[in-house]
Amino acid sequence: MYTTFIPARSAALCTVAALALLVALPAFAAPKRLTAAKPDNCSACHGKDRVLPDGHPKTAKMTLAACLECHSKDSPASLSGKLPLSHRHQLAGVSCVKCHGTTKKQTPVEAAVCEACHEPAKLAEKTAGVKPQNPHTSPHYGTALDCNVCHHQHAKGENFCMQCHTFNFKLP
Amino acid sequence: MSDEISQESEVTRRSFLKTTGAVAAAAGLAMTGLAATVRQAEAACGEMPKKWDETYDVIIVGTGFAGLSAAIEARHAGAEVLVIEKMRTHGGNSIINGGEMAVAGNKWQKEAGIQDSPELFMKDLLKAGSSLNHPELARTIAEQSGEALDWCQNFVGARFVKLVFHGGHSVKRSVQTDNASGSGLVNPLFTKAKSMGVKFQFTTKMERLITSKEGRVVGLEIRKGYKFPDDRSGKASFVKARKAVVLASGGFSQNVELRQIQDPRIDSRFDSTNHPGATGEATLAACQAGAMDVQMDWIQMGPWTSPDEKGFGHVPQFCERLVGYGPMIDPKSGRRFIQETGNRKVRADAMMALGYPTIIFGDAVNVKRQVLPHTLEKGMANGAIKKFDTIEELAATYGIPLAALKEEIAKWNSYVEKKKDPDFNCKIFPETTPTVAAPFYACRLWPRVHHCMGGLVIDKNAQVKGFNLKPLKGLYAAGEVTGGVHGAVRLGTCAMLDCVVFGRIAGKNAAKEKNWG
Ligand SMILES: Cc1cc2nc3c(=O)[nH]c(=O)nc-3n(C[C@H](O)[C@H](O)[C@H](O)COP(=O)(O)OP(=O)(O)OC[C@H]3O[C@@H](n4cnc5c(N)ncnc54)[C@H](O)[C@@H]3O)c2cc1C
Repeated sequence: MYTTFIPARSAALCTVAALALLVALPAFAAPKRLTAAKPDNCSACHGKDRVLPDGHPKTAKMTLAACLECHSKDSPASLSGKLPLSHRHQLAGVSCVKCHGTTKKQTPVEAAVCEACHEPAKLAEKTAGVKPQNPHTSPHYGTALDCNVCHHQHAKGENFCMQCHTFNFKLP
Repeated sequence: MSDEISQESEVTRRSFLKTTGAVAAAAGLAMTGLAATVRQAEAACGEMPKKWDETYDVIIVGTGFAGLSAAIEARHAGAEVLVIEKMRTHGGNSIINGGEMAVAGNKWQKEAGIQDSPELFMKDLLKAGSSLNHPELARTIAEQSGEALDWCQNFVGARFVKLVFHGGHSVKRSVQTDNASGSGLVNPLFTKAKSMGVKFQFTTKMERLITSKEGRVVGLEIRKGYKFPDDRSGKASFVKARKAVVLASGGFSQNVELRQIQDPRIDSRFDSTNHPGATGEATLAACQAGAMDVQMDWIQMGPWTSPDEKGFGHVPQFCERLVGYGPMIDPKSGRRFIQETGNRKVRADAMMALGYPTIIFGDAVNVKRQVLPHTLEKGMANGAIKKFDTIEELAATYGIPLAALKEEIAKWNSYVEKKKDPDFNCKIFPETTPTVAAPFYACRLWPRVHHCMGGLVIDKNAQVKGFNLKPLKGLYAAGEVTGGVHGAVRLGTCAMLDCVVFGRIAGKNAAKEKNWG
């Protein structure tokens, strides 16, 4: 498996701090990631930015399952595509360290790390019914396409197929 | 940019370089936007980098058929090989291609009793190419096609399963991969190359070729962590090629500005069937380093694509199976306007001259017999192919004058009966039946940019020629980035062959070069 695509932001995070001054950051786009942040402590990463809407229940002890009670998959409040996958992982008990290890400098993970939990063939089976085309297998790459081509953990996902096709997949 | 401004920035740039040093500046500040200026300054003085970040024997640009074939051969010959690819995935156009490769005298031909030879193949190549093909190059692919197929199957492990016919070939001669896609060859090539120890770097773009004072190509300036198509993304770095660089960067069908310079007709009204990275900047970078280009204005339009779906789509398989079985209509006049079975160029030129999408349709009998159920189903699902119960409905949907259309269909049907088309000399097949039975299936057609015949000049050793008409030392090229093999019009299924044959030649010869330092 070749190396995972490096999202521009993680590259930016690795470079000199001065760079931050040159790049205008949209709200929530590039919060500084803190490995120790708990699910309820939005401000640990987001600072003063308000992340949750007024009146949102406290997320302190919430798990992903609890989020999904309101934000169910096909409801208008679905978080699919809105909540970065890293949050979903964290809420489901997958910590930063589980994927990135304990190195000081966070580096992008290889697809093999994703595949340790999400076996490509099984994923393809799971999405076999997706119309108009199974997103996890294709005539071009079979099931070998690097996960990160579509699913960026710390940024919005992108539908890679759309370059040439009109497969309007809803991307988690 | 006005003169004052450019002079001013010149001064700033110079004093900037003095304090920081060009290489450090390019590497460290790549993301700040200053990089572009620094690069210009460097290119202008043509200096070698003070420090190389990495060194390999052979560096290959591009992960399509040509690049991977070259990588395997160079590695096979013992070279340490790096392949760079600017996109996030491997394969370029090769991985979206139809997996059909022309091979003269293959075993399926023999089984079917089809007589073929490299000579006959060569004749077909020259005819399609209006004899603008560089004969030595065309002969090379014709003569080495059999060996190329053997190599793909026996050494690389790709599987070819059947024989298909393509317009312009005088016999059935093309073999198709087991999954009817170029991925059926690209993926085995990729796996093989990796297993042999070829190194790959993705999201790594070649920015320019670096040449020594003597004009020898010695390495590349690249951009690591490049995020297509953002030219500011990534970080500059320098890689040294001890032996040679092989350019296998494909064509420029997706570069509207460049293709309009070559053929002003092909503006942004025309999409392309190509992968988005087919933008040709590596071709231009080679020219800046002294490589010569040829026939860049021969850009092939695919007349079988539909504006109602993206990319290559399903319509080509509908249209091409239907030509000779149903009429093609100019919707404004309701009349036929071109020989439906004519070659790509003739048909695309006619459509471009009209300036709006045209229609092809067939009746239930002909469509059912010719078009694969899969094609019909997928094309109808995405809305590009439509089904009509009556001709009236069809005419109304596309705004075709009904009386004229009915007249034209009657005429077509009479030609089908006589098996002869006095208007346009369309090939009408023995099994073609008149267009009468409902339902009717139709789609709109509008050409897309498909293939760049022109590119860098190479000799039969895949060595690039410079503007001084001499080989440009240290530089090889293969595949769609080169010109001359196909001449004016590429014969279908010959690109794949071209890439494998010249990719292999380029890889072998690159590995044979003496180290320059
Ligand atoms: C839809 C489609 C179907 C086709 N079907 C057939 C067929 O059935 N038979 C046939 O013979 N031909 C077919 N063709 C044509 C054929 O596929 C192409 O001509 C061929 O794949 C080109 O291969 P290549 O190796 O030269 O380039 P490509 O496969 O395009 O690879 C070039 C690679 O170089 C990379 N690159 C470019 N510039 C840079 C840079 N500056 N730095 C780093 N990397 C760079 C690109 O991203 C790309 O991945 C088809 C083409 C298309 C588009």
